[in-house]
Amino acid sequence: MHTLRLLSAFFKVNVQMALAYRADTVVNILLNLMWLGWELLSLNIIFNNTETLGGWGIGELIALLGVFRLVNTMMIALIWPNTEKFNASIRDGSMDYTILQPVNSMFLVTFSRITVWRIWDLVLAVVLMVVGINMSGDSITALQILTFILLATTGTLVIYSLWIVLIAMTFWFTKFDNNVTILQALLDAGRYPATVYPVWLRVIVTFIIPIAVATTIPLQALRGDLTLASTLLFASIGFISFGIASQIWKAGLKRYSGASS
Amino acid sequence: MSPTINVQQLSKTYQVPEREGGFGAAVRSFFKRKYKDVKAVQQVDFKIEQGEIVGFLGPNGAGKTTTLKMLSGLLHPTGGKAEVLGFTPWELKPEYLRVMTLVMGQRNRLSWDIPAADSFLLNQAIYRIPDDEYKQTYKELDELLELEPLMKKPVRNLSLGERMKCEIAAGLLHRPKVLFLDEPTIGLDITGQARIREFLREYNKRTGATILLTSHYMADVTALCERIIIIHHGNLKYDGGINDLSRRIAPFKLIGVRLAEPNSHDLSKYGEPVQNEEDAEKQYIQVKAEDVTRVTSKLLADLPVHDITIADPPIEDVIEQAFNQ
Repeated sequence: MHTLRLLSAFFKVNVQMALAYRADTVVNILLNLMWLGWELLSLNIIFNNTETLGGWGIGELIALLGVFRLVNTMMIALIWPNTEKFNASIRDGSMDYTILQPVNSMFLVTFSRITVWRIWDLVLAVVLMVVGINMSGDSITALQILTFILLATTGTLVIYSLWIVLIAMTFWFTKFDNNVTILQALLDAGRYPATVYPVWLRVIVTFIIPIAVATTIPLQALRGDLTLASTLLFASIGFISFGIASQIWKAGLKRYSGASS
Repeated sequence: MSPTINVQQLSKTYQVPEREGGFGAAVRSFFKRKYKDVKAVQQVDFKIEQGEIVGFLGPNGAGKTTTLKMLSGLLHPTGGKAEVLGFTPWELKPEYLRVMTLVMGQRNRLSWDIPAADSFLLNQAIYRIPDDEYKQTYKELDELLELEPLMKKPVRNLSLGERMKCEIAAGLLHRPKVLFLDEPTIGLDITGQARIREFLREYNKRTGATILLTSHYMADVTALCERIIIIHHGNLKYDGGINDLSRRIAPFKLIGVRLAEPNSHDLSKYGEPVQNEEDAEKQYIQVKAEDVTRVTSKLLADLPVHDITIADPPIEDVIEQAFNQ
């Protein structure tokens, strides 16, 4: 309950900040409308020209695109602006105030900046997923949809954890500004179904860098391709990586408090 | 009752990378880094009771900020213990963070682009302050700091003094029982400093909050604190009343003289001449307290004196003397 109140307070402040400069606001609205148009146009092209890709049907592809967009929205709306703020707060020392607030500092670092213009992206992502699932046929059961949602969530958690680990590295290295560039590079590999790539790359993408966990695996769950064992495995990877990331974050804070002056 | 702040043998040693200047040294240091131990705070002890305002003094790099950061919980000490309101600060328990505040004059917590009022509401959510309590606190802070006219402008459009008022208010919305203030008046003009000072005194009187502040401006300390703690090279040098300090280490008085023709005579035979920029037309000499009457009457008898003042030496000098002992 308190978490929701906090989130809404952060959201409000970010809307206020987004509206602070009028010219900036107008340009942002126009730009985002143009982006939306472009997105819809390219979707239309995919719709009309593609039947299958790497053995995936059009409905599944659209749902995959939806999941990808969801992850991408998280990147653009939360991870990018908050990384920027995080790096700045380490430099100018305002990290001190973040640490001294009676709220989990990982939560503060994640949600204090929100690119509010990307909200439509969230809507688009959900629409794509719903449409995709609908197009995939009548054979989909409620259980498949549920595992899909579960694995999409835990997959997102994996990426989120990776981000936390990357920014926490700053506590040790002091200067590590390209932390998110690395993450984005990894993430882009997850844009297409993992089966498109050669086996060795698939292994890297699926296991060594668990990005595909957030996009491809949930889709396999939707198709009913996953056994119960692998579903549980992938889900637990999400929670475990979140646990590890939290520990690394804590250690990083301790390191910060030991080294900074 | 146990003291509000209890510090025992508190120590902090930093490891700072160190290298010679020059290109070769930079490359060597990349592969093999040498570290030097810097003892920022060494076995410091003090106790502060509830409701006290204590001034924390010392030259730059003396360890003041490091101590404040340990007491607020930002830094882990390398040795010793500290308790504030019964909490160990660096455990960062939310219950502790909700009853203390750290205000740093050189850092901003308010968002630049929006009015402070909006940032205040965010703080209300973060500190879970109920609406009625928030309104009450805000009203009191407004009364003392005259915040209302500042609330509608984006923070970036406020003057330094106005922004500092808002920063302090933002740090006090949750009614902390302990205030750590690091240079709260830095960069402010005389009126700005005076206003913040007056506010802190009044706030302390109303709420009984315990305040530990560092400042470069002696006026802050002399106006607010009955007790001061002096720290130098990480060591505690003095802990006691401000008057005792000047009496103990500087039993001197400062005599200022304005002659009919300014600066026409050499005063060095009456006492030790002292530079003082306060008044260019006046000459100052420092004499032992017990000689003041004798020297003053001699000056008045010998010279065409227009104006004469006798004062305590500025506390900067008093402390400077203490450090150089």
